Amino acid sequence: MSPFASQSLRLACLFLLGSAVTRPAAAQEAAERTTIGGYGEVHYANASGPRTPGEVNVKRFVLFVAHAFSDRITFRSELELEDTKLEGGQDGGEVALEQLYLDYRFSDAATLRTGLVLAPIGIINETHEPPAFNGVARPLFDREVIPSTWRDIGVGMAGNLPGGHGLNYRVFLVSGLKAEGFGGSTGIRGGRQEGKEASFANPSLTGRLEWARPGLRLGGSFWYGGTAAQDSALGAGTFESPVFLVSADARYDVGPFALRGVVARIAVNDAKEINARFGTDVGARIEGGYLEGAVNLLHFLAPESRHKLNAFLRHERYNLHAAVPAGTATNDGYARRNTAVGLSYKPLWNVVFKGDYQLFRNRAARGESEMVSLGVGYQF
Amino acid sequence: MRAPVLPLLLLVLAATIPPSDRLAAQAAPPAKIQAALRRVYGGDLRTDSALIDGATVYRLARGDSLLGFAQVRNVKGKDQPITFMVATDSALHLRDIDILVYREAYGGEIAYEPWRRQFRGKGPSDALMPDADIRGISGATISVHAVTAAVRRTLQDLLRWRAEGRL
Repeated sequence: MSPFASQSLRLACLFLLGSAVTRPAAAQEAAERTTIGGYGEVHYANASGPRTPGEVNVKRFVLFVAHAFSDRITFRSELELEDTKLEGGQDGGEVALEQLYLDYRFSDAATLRTGLVLAPIGIINETHEPPAFNGVARPLFDREVIPSTWRDIGVGMAGNLPGGHGLNYRVFLVSGLKAEGFGGSTGIRGGRQEGKEASFANPSLTGRLEWARPGLRLGGSFWYGGTAAQDSALGAGTFESPVFLVSADARYDVGPFALRGVVARIAVNDAKEINARFGTDVGARIEGGYLEGAVNLLHFLAPESRHKLNAFLRHERYNLHAAVPAGTATNDGYARRNTAVGLSYKPLWNVVFKGDYQLFRNRAARGESEMVSLGVGYQF
Repeated sequence: MRAPVLPLLLLVLAATIPPSDRLAAQAAPPAKIQAALRRVYGGDLRTDSALIDGATVYRLARGDSLLGFAQVRNVKGKDQPITFMVATDSALHLRDIDILVYREAYGGEIAYEPWRRQFRGKGPSDALMPDADIRGISGATISVHAVTAAVRRTLQDLLRWRAEGRL
């Protein structure tokens, strides 16, 4: 007899067999789940010069813990340890929460996201697991221009735009930047509060619109918000001393080739007042980007292989002093040109062995340097 | 004397719980499954179902002609189960796949038609590998790999069940 029962017999079938073989339906609906994941990377880096010794470091060890309370309510977190350990009075080492948020999913189009969230800007800030990018270290652009890992506490919405056009969005209201931390060589990076007893004097708006289909993802992002933090010299208004960032990015994969690029432009409106108040030299405009091309060599050398050996070339060009306010001298050393070339070997999509050569240059030709790096990384 | 009973009972229970793919967690609403089946196979559908290895398999027919088989499964993405449906013709070639419930924070683009339609016409003898015969989506890597592998396993199971005379 065929094991198939008609629809009307299905309930009886479930009742008889289901109780012995499957879990009760009620348990399926209410199942809570906890998931542990993570990523990590170990680096070897040797700066230029035959007499400089190399340095090895467990750059990042990140634990990801998620818990689904129900089908709609989920908590997610990322806890990071940088540089192996923390020791009092010594440089380096950091323990930090990179993410901690609660999702309430109303529909595919609308999820309420509350907590410590990643700014949805560029490529690396949200997708920073080592197998997801080429090169041992993250691109410097994603440190000095887009200050990854950029996160803040806030509330917002995420989802797919209805209609199945491949568009999705994220938009958040978060605690903003503080001008006090801005600087010429570091841009807005030092202004991040990272959710640590953060001032909410300047709530900022950030968001992203993405379009994705097989092989292609295009994104546009923005950030707008004040930075004065009720400083006596800068002002008490919510949008006092605003920072306005716009960015666009693209990822395109075709056959063995992968191309990606990001551009960003940041306006620091009251750079003059900020520099006068804090004795620094942040640019009034920061802008630039990078382009990267990669090719999977195994596609030609061993077409049957499921492994990947990506050779890549990346060129970054950005200027932390694209414009300076009156009273601040332009520093050509902040107009950077970084080139990286290297290999990424991926026996699996979530494990990577990397090696690269980087050349750091700038318009002033001061302090230019080279670096050779090796690394391993994983995610699960 | 009573002490070993409970562990034994637990062992027996544990042994009856099928692999995570099939029953890891959440079910899709029955209405959603029916709608997905109608979308793939059209209306006026006769739906029979059977439990094979603890999981429901649908057999779809119109009149006397067998249209194919379908199964709903869960596969773990980054941290949540992705509930998907595999729908084949009578020769176990894919008519379509469907993402019934997507719960992950990122990567929802796999539910869109441009990605799913790559599976149409593929069968148990196809590789079904990301970056080989299924094009991935940058930024949705985990979901792409999870669902592609789970579809491949589902087709292999259907093929085995048919060989065993259970379909």
